[in-house]
Amino acid sequence: MIWKRLLPPVVLLLVWQGLSASGIIPAYKLPSPVAVAAGLADLIQTGMPPGHLLHVHIYYSLQRVLWGYALALLTAIPLGLLMGWSHTIRGLIEPLVEMIRPIPPLAWIPIAILWFGIGSKSAAFIIFLGAFFPILLNTISGVHSIDPVLIEAARVLNASRRFIFLKVLVPGAIPSILTGMRIGIGIGWMTLVAAEFTGVKQGYGLGYMIMTARDIQRSDEIIAGMLVIGIIGLGIDACLKTVERQTIKWR
Amino acid sequence: MKQTYTAVILIALMVIAGNGYSSETLNQPIRMAYLQSDIHHLALWVALEKGIFKENGANVEVKGVFKAGPEIMTAFAAGELDMAYVGEAPSTTAVANKAARAVVVSQVNTEGSALVVAKNTTGINNLSDLRGKTVAVPGHSTVQDFLLRRALRENGIDLKQVNIIVLKPPEMIGALRTGQIDAFIAWEPYPSKADTLSVGRNMATSKEMWPGHPCCVLISDHGFLVGHPEDVKAVVKSHVQATDYIHRNPDEAVKIGVKYTGMDETTVRQAMQNVHYTYELSIQGEKEYVQFLSELGYIHLDDPDKFVDYFINPDILKGILPQ
Amino acid sequence: MALKLEISGLKKIYTGAAPGDAVQVFEGIDCIVEKGQFFTLVGPSGCGKTTLLRMIAGLEPITAGNILLNGERLNDCNENIGLVFQEYALFPWRKLLSNIEVGLEIKGVPARERQAEAMTYVEAFGLKGFENRYPKELSGGMKQRVAIARALIANPQVVLMDEPFGSLDSQNRDKMQNFLLKIWGERKDTILFVTHNVDEAVYLSDRIAVMSPRPSKILNIFDINLKHPRDRTSLEANRIRRDILELLDLAE
Repeated sequence: MIWKRLLPPVVLLLVWQGLSASGIIPAYKLPSPVAVAAGLADLIQTGMPPGHLLHVHIYYSLQRVLWGYALALLTAIPLGLLMGWSHTIRGLIEPLVEMIRPIPPLAWIPIAILWFGIGSKSAAFIIFLGAFFPILLNTISGVHSIDPVLIEAARVLNASRRFIFLKVLVPGAIPSILTGMRIGIGIGWMTLVAAEFTGVKQGYGLGYMIMTARDIQRSDEIIAGMLVIGIIGLGIDACLKTVERQTIKWR
Repeated sequence: MKQTYTAVILIALMVIAGNGYSSETLNQPIRMAYLQSDIHHLALWVALEKGIFKENGANVEVKGVFKAGPEIMTAFAAGELDMAYVGEAPSTTAVANKAARAVVVSQVNTEGSALVVAKNTTGINNLSDLRGKTVAVPGHSTVQDFLLRRALRENGIDLKQVNIIVLKPPEMIGALRTGQIDAFIAWEPYPSKADTLSVGRNMATSKEMWPGHPCCVLISDHGFLVGHPEDVKAVVKSHVQATDYIHRNPDEAVKIGVKYTGMDETTVRQAMQNVHYTYELSIQGEKEYVQFLSELGYIHLDDPDKFVDYFINPDILKGILPQ
Repeated sequence: MALKLEISGLKKIYTGAAPGDAVQVFEGIDCIVEKGQFFTLVGPSGCGKTTLLRMIAGLEPITAGNILLNGERLNDCNENIGLVFQEYALFPWRKLLSNIEVGLEIKGVPARERQAEAMTYVEAFGLKGFENRYPKELSGGMKQRVAIARALIANPQVVLMDEPFGSLDSQNRDKMQNFLLKIWGERKDTILFVTHNVDEAVYLSDRIAVMSPRPSKILNIFDINLKHPRDRTSLEANRIRRDILELLDLAE
């Protein structure tokens, strides 16, 4: 029943509103749900900074995520397939990957700005870094998770290496690849906002919007912005889950 | 179901407990803050270095050095600061938006910023040349942001035609050097630094843009003022004495400026020349701030004059200065 | 030359990490499978019958000896040898029809043609109506039929079967045995079959080679001249069974 799942958040909201209205939580520390809702209305109608409307911020942020994510897909999946397939290639590349992976994407911001300048390109780069590693690692593990007997079945049918790679390895790795893709977009979306904190040229982006609200001490808009980001992240994940379900009907 | 309710009630209780806790102890130091490498705040550094606070019985602790005004105001909102040197625009915005309860107890300086363009650029000579260009400001609702927009508006330039972006001042010089921005407006000593590095040159000082415009102020948390008026008075008195010191001993002041900004003497000296250190409150200037911030939509006040009355408190100064 | 699969002097050693760890699986296998024969290998677990099949299929390297198909040495996978795995090994992401036609796909046969060919197997093997199902939706018996179709569609000269009915219950196993006999009767493939189930071997085969435990060799080859359909309970069948079991017991 849907209402059962909605009940805890609703109760939480009511308690929150009660605590705020009674003054136990002062407004400057945490605005009430009603204030946040008003803040959201402001973001939609007036915008923050004034004149920069919410839906345009969303559009710009989504664009940057799409670019960074697409780049991550195009590089991590082929590389992961190759690394899963060939021990030699894996041995060559793995040390480099393991060294770079622990570095948080945000630490790359100064370098990203030096290389790509202030603007969407450096933000997309940060997102690319966030999404790349989960996709890569899950692709490699996807290849390794294929039952070896399936490869033997193909060999026995006299399949070429190319056939085995394209028609056995790739389809067999797809479930793991999709998992990696879901994790990757989640991380990418998370890093976007922080990446946008440091200067975006066009003046649009959800991170930029929140930073501006912070400058002007509009905590109601800050929280409303955070909610928007959370909901969009949820939506993106739901989309990918559907894609996953449709693609892996055979599981 | 029961578990969920229990959890929610527990969380509520924790929140109540957390907010109820008050750390009221005696003999706490006066927690102050200033902006990193902001030569406007020289008086504070002088007061620290020359023991002026101690002379006046003020136990000052520098709780934080911040990168921009809005961040100082957030610290006030969190109850982390008692007094601070900060821009008048971010403090006005924070208090008007009810994020913090603070009042201005003294002026710190007027003027002291500049609009900087790339050294070798020839195309930008006046404000109307900024059309279609990218200009960096230290943050929305900073004094510099306000200065720029006010100047553009006065010259009949549509704000939409100028691409205003936000950068922290240390990043501005690098961005100008690599051509990612066409100009920036920041507080001293950054314009002077750009000049000594041959990266940029002043297109206009803030004095030229708006003579006598208020810039930084000394603010106090409202609750702190009510609870510890003697401490506030001691700090303001120290500030007045330190400001006088700067005028009487410029060379010594330069040395202190070098120490706190980490920049070379030439830059600091040049920067100081662009700043007018004063403790005289500029109420008219504040009224302009309030009006402009309202127009930009950053604040919404029912009664602007009443706000200014509340926000600027001249009483402490009056009690210190000879009539 | 008529089709002949000849195995001579075959040895297989798995080398271990340390010198003393080497495992000698068999010490010299000789046998000949003629065209159209149903040739079965029986033996205790671990005697290497699966390993032998895998070596013929090209999945395991040969330590010593020869495997000759029509006089030519085999040492790698090739299209003349088909293999039906014990675990079916169907591609889970391919539908039933698509699994069957894989062998033709590898050969480069165009889609329409290979689909039509695969459909004939679907009909002949009683799989009609399930062409578009995924392996996870099929029963064990159906999966094994698909696996057999997949191997046969490529028309290999010799079909290897590694305990194909081992994971079926006895009823389904009986059904599948009859099914296999029917197919074989129509097509007359050359089959090299491996099982540990002596009853099964006696029911199906023309010739049965009995293997000893490891390091194994062939103890004896029995010729079964009973006509199909065979009576499992006949005296003759029982006699052969007893002989084989005695031989296996002795070898232990």
